[in-house]
Amino acid sequence: MVLNGIKLLRQMPQKVAQARLQNRLLIILAIVFFTVPLGAGAYPVTIMIDIGFYCVVTMGLIMIMGLGGQISLGHGAFFGCGAYISAVLTTSYGWSPWAALFFAALVTGAIAGLVGRFMFRLHGLILAGVTLALNLVFFYLVTSMVDITGGAIGFMNIPPITIGGIGSQDLLFNYYFIWIMAFLLLIFSLNLTDSRNGRALRALNTYAGGSEDAAQVLGVNVLRYKVWAFVLSAVYASLAGSAYAHYTRIIEPNTFMIQYSAMVALMAIIGGRSSPWGAFLGAGLIIGLRELLRESVPVLVGGLSGAYELIAYGIILALALLFMPQGLVSVVRRAASKRTKINET
Amino acid sequence: MKPKLVPPHRRRGKTIAGDYLLEVRGISKSFGRLSVLKGVDFSLARGNILVIIGPNGAGKSTLLKIISGLALPDTGEIYFAGELISNLAPYRIASRGITQLFQDIQLFLSMSVVENVMVGRHRHATTDFMSSGLSLKKARDDEQRVFEAALEKLALVGLEKAAFAAPASLSWGQQKLVGLARALASGAELLLLDEPYSGLVADEVTKLNQLIRALQSQGITIVIVEHLTDILMGIASQVIVFDHGEKIADGTPAEIQRDRRVIDAYLGGEQPGVREVDDQ
Repeated sequence: MVLNGIKLLRQMPQKVAQARLQNRLLIILAIVFFTVPLGAGAYPVTIMIDIGFYCVVTMGLIMIMGLGGQISLGHGAFFGCGAYISAVLTTSYGWSPWAALFFAALVTGAIAGLVGRFMFRLHGLILAGVTLALNLVFFYLVTSMVDITGGAIGFMNIPPITIGGIGSQDLLFNYYFIWIMAFLLLIFSLNLTDSRNGRALRALNTYAGGSEDAAQVLGVNVLRYKVWAFVLSAVYASLAGSAYAHYTRIIEPNTFMIQYSAMVALMAIIGGRSSPWGAFLGAGLIIGLRELLRESVPVLVGGLSGAYELIAYGIILALALLFMPQGLVSVVRRAASKRTKINET
Repeated sequence: MKPKLVPPHRRRGKTIAGDYLLEVRGISKSFGRLSVLKGVDFSLARGNILVIIGPNGAGKSTLLKIISGLALPDTGEIYFAGELISNLAPYRIASRGITQLFQDIQLFLSMSVVENVMVGRHRHATTDFMSSGLSLKKARDDEQRVFEAALEKLALVGLEKAAFAAPASLSWGQQKLVGLARALASGAELLLLDEPYSGLVADEVTKLNQLIRALQSQGITIVIVEHLTDILMGIASQVIVFDHGEKIADGTPAEIQRDRRVIDAYLGGEQPGVREVDDQ
């Protein structure tokens, strides 16, 4: 549990230490995240905004992949759903961006729930294939519904989200908007992970020592939990997608293709699927690396960095799977537990 | 008009009157051409300990899976407290008050011991995703109650000190006890124990026997599937013997020990002073 003095924690020494560390980390990060951009230039703030969008979608993916142990390679579709629903409602129907953001999350969640009910009767690679197909279906739908979505050209002139006159034109507003969203969803995810529902999800995660049979005979409705986790992860992606549409004010279908889904899956694997913190680490590392390559490749070898980016992602993925299959978060966790043990002695 | 035929496992809401907690009627199960269970019938009274014995491949574990809903029977029906349950999903059967301890335990390895037992309390809490995520008071109170109940069950099996340990760090016997505590936390009325004694050392066997007796005295009905007949004859109220998917005997331990078919098929040949039950 995060940021609360629940009685339970006092009875669980390890949990107390873990929660203290988590709370401290949250406060430090919040301070860093909310003060650093004040003195930074436009470029680093833009990169941080980009990381923020990826971070929210990855966090959602971690809820279904890391917690529930279900593969999804189609989260670009839900990110796109949020973006397009928000864009269409605000631009074509004059909705307020705020109302559109929440309505898009509701609709995307409902779509995920409907699809999930059928999809989660499947397992393993077949399930992964279906999620991939979901992303393709979204792409072809968006490109073919030209009258509504603008087709392959995309959707332009999307109004910005504003609070009291400050809006999407303001880089810092967007920075704070996405990172406040990320921190609120992080707290929500951490609370969920450590609750009855989080335990039920972890219990059926066969990739992390769980057992569906054991969970079922203890009363866990396995299908219902998988679907709910999927809905939740789709809602996260939709919220990020809506925010993205109102930030960039122009969207086009290629942004939400399989490459996007693969990127967030990569971030979840490298950051660590077992904790929502993994989203921060994964998105930070991959986008940081991408920017580093975009800066250095033209200088060092000339030309564009695209191919080198793919090679670098591949190498990092291979290294992560070889040396830290639980992701960067496991390294941080090990260091933190060592520190706790030292403090105890 | 021709009546619509509904397979037995799809019939809903069917109940029967009777004094038995569990009634198994004509259960058959085949995997391809291999017939694992052939028309098994038996009844189990509330508060009794039923021991099912039989050689490997006799269909004992499959029967437990069918009772807990993890496998569907080809034919036959199962009633729990008078209600047809063989048409229900496993989690619904669990909510009626039946749970299972697996032969390989299947603890959740990413959780601590106490968290494993807390999953056992799952059906007794009602917190939804939103309340959990927002850490509402309702969710925190629920969590507190579940935690206390889990600790209580761990204390019952003598493992409260290992509450925060990782399951993998415990001995096999201790893991079995955690599995039992987790099953007990579910508040089940009927416990299905699949080879609970396998892999235990002598002290652990004695401890488990004491625990099982204590659970029986609390009114819990228990079905044990085992190979170790000697240990179980002392605690069983009823014994059923399986051979090649068929029930070949059903009675008290004393009756079973005198049964000629059992001796021939399972206990192994002629024994002095033994006569056939049918001859009585």
